[in-house]
Amino acid sequence: MKFTVPIGPQHPALKEPISLRMTLEGEVIRDADLRLGYNHRGLEKLAEEKTWLQNIYVTERICGICSHSHATCYTQGVEKLMEVEPPKRGIYLRFLVAELERVHSHLLWLGVAGHEAGFDTFFMYTWRDREVVMDILEMVSGNRVHYAINTLGGVRRDIDDLQKKKILDSLDILRKRSQYYLKIGANEPSFVARIAGVGRLSKEDALALCAVGPTARASDIAQDVRKDDPYGMYAEVPFEVATATTCDVLGRVVVRVKELMESYNIIEFLLKNLPDGPVAVRAPRRAKPNEVVSRYEAPRGENIHYIKSNGTDKPERLKVRAPTLANYPATVVMLKNGFIADIPLIFAAIDPCICCAERAVTLVNARSGQERVVLMSELRRQAQERWKKAPPKKDAVWPL
Amino acid sequence: MLQRIVRWSRKKSPWILHLNSGACNACDIEVVAALTPRFDVERLGVLLRATPRHADVIIATGPVTRQIKDRIIRIYEQTPDPKFVIAVGACAMSGCVYRGAYNIMGGLDQVIPVNIYVPGCPARPDAILDGVVKLLGTL
Amino acid sequence: MNDTEIIEKARTLLGDKILEVSNPAVRRIFLKVDSKDLLKAVEVLKNDLGFAYVATISGLDSGESFEIIYHFGNAFSQLNLRTQVPKTDPHVESICPVIPGAILYERELQDMFGLVVDNIPDPRPLILPDGWPAGNYPLRKDWKYERPPEKIPGGKP
Repeated sequence: MKFTVPIGPQHPALKEPISLRMTLEGEVIRDADLRLGYNHRGLEKLAEEKTWLQNIYVTERICGICSHSHATCYTQGVEKLMEVEPPKRGIYLRFLVAELERVHSHLLWLGVAGHEAGFDTFFMYTWRDREVVMDILEMVSGNRVHYAINTLGGVRRDIDDLQKKKILDSLDILRKRSQYYLKIGANEPSFVARIAGVGRLSKEDALALCAVGPTARASDIAQDVRKDDPYGMYAEVPFEVATATTCDVLGRVVVRVKELMESYNIIEFLLKNLPDGPVAVRAPRRAKPNEVVSRYEAPRGENIHYIKSNGTDKPERLKVRAPTLANYPATVVMLKNGFIADIPLIFAAIDPCICCAERAVTLVNARSGQERVVLMSELRRQAQERWKKAPPKKDAVWPL
Repeated sequence: MLQRIVRWSRKKSPWILHLNSGACNACDIEVVAALTPRFDVERLGVLLRATPRHADVIIATGPVTRQIKDRIIRIYEQTPDPKFVIAVGACAMSGCVYRGAYNIMGGLDQVIPVNIYVPGCPARPDAILDGVVKLLGTL
Repeated sequence: MNDTEIIEKARTLLGDKILEVSNPAVRRIFLKVDSKDLLKAVEVLKNDLGFAYVATISGLDSGESFEIIYHFGNAFSQLNLRTQVPKTDPHVESICPVIPGAILYERELQDMFGLVVDNIPDPRPLILPDGWPAGNYPLRKDWKYERPPEKIPGGKP
């Protein structure tokens, strides 16, 4: 007997509206389908009526968690169109903020994963550490989110030695606390058993459906724009691409924790080797007619902007593709043959930035056609009760 | 007498519903960050509920897109009286950077009546707390 | 393999199907093909040149015709494949049989420009709202939006 369950907008488990319709048979999901558009704000048409500088602020507000990634991707592209080369100190500061943003985004996601798996204490711990990072960002740029530190030709603010020392001290605190979480995660068998084996995505499927970011890296595909197509100063920074072989939610947690540790190392390298000099150069008002493709590794995956100019001071075409859109077909495959109780966890595992949808699930009884709305929190509560009664998986092991 | 007790309990412990109408998420993360140990809004009795049927106060963010307009009106009607709406962020007040786009209605007050506006892009958690306290002061 | 080797190999495999080639920067290659050779070119790119990952598909309104650009990427370089269709006959072939992950981008092209993608597995609109009047394609250059006047609550009507 098949049910169709719409998971619709308005959901308490955080974030944005999206609508998924799932066809169920008992408790197993047989098929899933998406309805996007609740968050469509008509940005690409709006960008054609604003100048190059005003568009930095528009692209920043595409997403609130990875705002600097969109702004930097756009600014990089426009600097290539205008043939302007920002100075080295400006580039280092720009990517210092970028790595800090990656740290804050992964800590946020770890908290959400803990919350979806029922581990609320972990949620509170990681978000408390996130406040340390927000304080550093506020000291550097003036705002907790939407830093607006990019400008065409460099960055807008500089840091002095006292701020540099404060950032290095906070980094020590964060490192110590992250090591503690690693120890908790590895020695908490119920947490590991809850997330192992859930949301499988095989390597062939991930390649065919063009998945990006940690979702693909957890299926053993070493794809990272910072290594394949280095931009900024990533060609000079030593770091490693984090992958995992388990292809499920546990793999994605492991990949993100490894990336967190790598980001701490990159921030330390950038601060210790910060060159002297100016932070910005002047950029012209108009750009010559040309086109450029700009790629960037956001915390969720690859961000790609295509910009075309026609000689005036407004763009002719700006095309943005955020990483979560590329992971949707992979999510549909991950949900098939999974349990309804795992829907919040699988969906949170791709790190949805649906500014990404709000999810309420509508359960439709396929036989009688009646609809019953179930909130995601209700599903999560049922999931937690179900897993309390299930026997623990003794063979799930933390592979770090 | 009963009325006074009911009004006192409503003032001391409002239950909120968090609604996102197409926003970029920054204001939503700040609303959730208000529950974390640093700003801790639960000590004031505020509880984040999942369903509109239990909520006293609706905290809404985001410029309203056409697709979600009907759903917001439906959720507003599902909330029982007396209800209050707080519009958080510059997008919910007038559309922020997205004013003039073809899919945006232009602010939350074009769709449902609003009691309190909290400005900021994004609004800091302390500012959101201040808005909730001001609302309770008018009850 | 670096950019010049990729361009050489593409020339030997596709021959005169390639109308234009350019390499404006390191790891950025632009190729142009005719719209009826599109599927063959994508197959060659996937099987022989190692570009199995489509990042996105952009559409452009350039006056008399639509330009569609497919952005591919792999561990060595980034390649953009361009094709053109006239506005009077906006049909383009779907590449989903070769690369299944391109389905969402093609649905977006249909929504925003009014292009018709033949043999698409799932033709529903992707991002425009449910009550959107048909025939209005927002990203065409000749489509303008008039904002209706707002009502200010508590103010003058």
